[in-house]
Amino acid sequence: MNPIVTFASKFGGKMALNSEFVVEKAQRYYLLNPRLRGLARSDFYHAGLYLGKVKNGVFFPSFILLNMLVGVASNKVVVDRKAGWLFICGRDLFRKGLVKMQGSMRRGDYTLVMNEFGDCLGFGKVAAALDKAEERVVITNILDLGDFLRRET
Amino acid sequence: MSGNEFFVKRYAQLGWEFKEVESRQAIRINLVNAKGKNIVGRMRDLGVQLEKVPFLVAGYWVGKSKVSVGATAEYLLGLYSVQEAAAQIPASLFNKPDRKTVLDACAAPGGKTVQLADLMGNTGVVVALDVNKKRLAALSNHLERCRVSNAIVYNLDARQASRLNLKFDRILLDVPCSGNFASDKEWFKRRTLNDIERNSKVQREILAEAVKCLSANGELVYSTCSLEPEEDELNIDWAVKNLNLQIEEVDCFGREGLTEVFGRKLDASVKRCRRIWPGDTQGFFVGKLKRKVSFL
Repeated sequence: MNPIVTFASKFGGKMALNSEFVVEKAQRYYLLNPRLRGLARSDFYHAGLYLGKVKNGVFFPSFILLNMLVGVASNKVVVDRKAGWLFICGRDLFRKGLVKMQGSMRRGDYTLVMNEFGDCLGFGKVAAALDKAEERVVITNILDLGDFLRRET
Repeated sequence: MSGNEFFVKRYAQLGWEFKEVESRQAIRINLVNAKGKNIVGRMRDLGVQLEKVPFLVAGYWVGKSKVSVGATAEYLLGLYSVQEAAAQIPASLFNKPDRKTVLDACAAPGGKTVQLADLMGNTGVVVALDVNKKRLAALSNHLERCRVSNAIVYNLDARQASRLNLKFDRILLDVPCSGNFASDKEWFKRRTLNDIERNSKVQREILAEAVKCLSANGELVYSTCSLEPEEDELNIDWAVKNLNLQIEEVDCFGREGLTEVFGRKLDASVKRCRRIWPGDTQGFFVGKLKRKVSFL
């Protein structure tokens, strides 16, 4: 539970998960519904909602967890279509691609990156003050949806 | 016994004249995730032409496309899955799967597991098994991408499903099979009758094990993407005669199942199955089974 709560706090949000239904297996965290909790054997490979994993002491969130954070995170940016596509391709974000910003957005803060439809595309780290020149990278990409494609290659 | 000529002759004996086909790419909208989102419009804006598949609830053929439908933001967000049209049929044949305990016995890479979860509105439980551990990573990624919350996955051979000590209301057996030439260009070079007979044996073992786990009023859907009757009608005929099962009527795309195969007469009810010869879709076979009703 702790890595998840700590991770959520980096977005200025507080995650409320019932620890009774969060299961850790081999440093991977899953959120189970009551029926799954009742029948899950310890040798499962995957169960319920995958929340993320700890590797070498670092927490790697799942996209499901990032989606859950949409409702509680303070730090969010909405990007235009082109910037959104480039972000999914692993690129950082420039000021000119940002349509809307919310939260403290101090340098070093984490922020969710959303598209114009309110879908979460991933998250990044605020790299520069958002009111600075347009040609600068303002959010560095940490994790984006394109990861699903990269995992399988 | 193999090669193009051998199999083409067999298909002719079964009533189908061979023709080269290339099955059309299709997607299935994940209705839970896409609720309130205009996916067809969003895809049109991306330059993807979609055409509704008439025999599917949420299936669309992919027409002209400026982008790969397997790499759009909408795909990565789990709003739709890339799933061949005929392959969308089996999961759709269950009667009211929501809130049920469902087994997907040969689940990887997970297209049908995700479809089942979607049809269930993420209620109930889907237990997904696969014997091949390497394929479970793809299954797990698929479940994460499509935000499936009611599935549990085990690395288990379907022939050992009863070890779970669970009774299932719905069982999907999309069994490992020989495939067909429409989805594998090298199929005729690769396959022999021996392969088919070996697969048929494994499929019967899976069927027999699944019946042990089927609840009293449960439904079992059996499917393959094989055109070979040894893996299709002959297995269903065997199940009816040996596993105390009966075949249910299904209302879906495809021709009636064969009731005479190479001169051998099968149980007349096998016609309730559906055989899909390659055309717009790949080749496919599907049948729905229940325990025989006793009137004693």
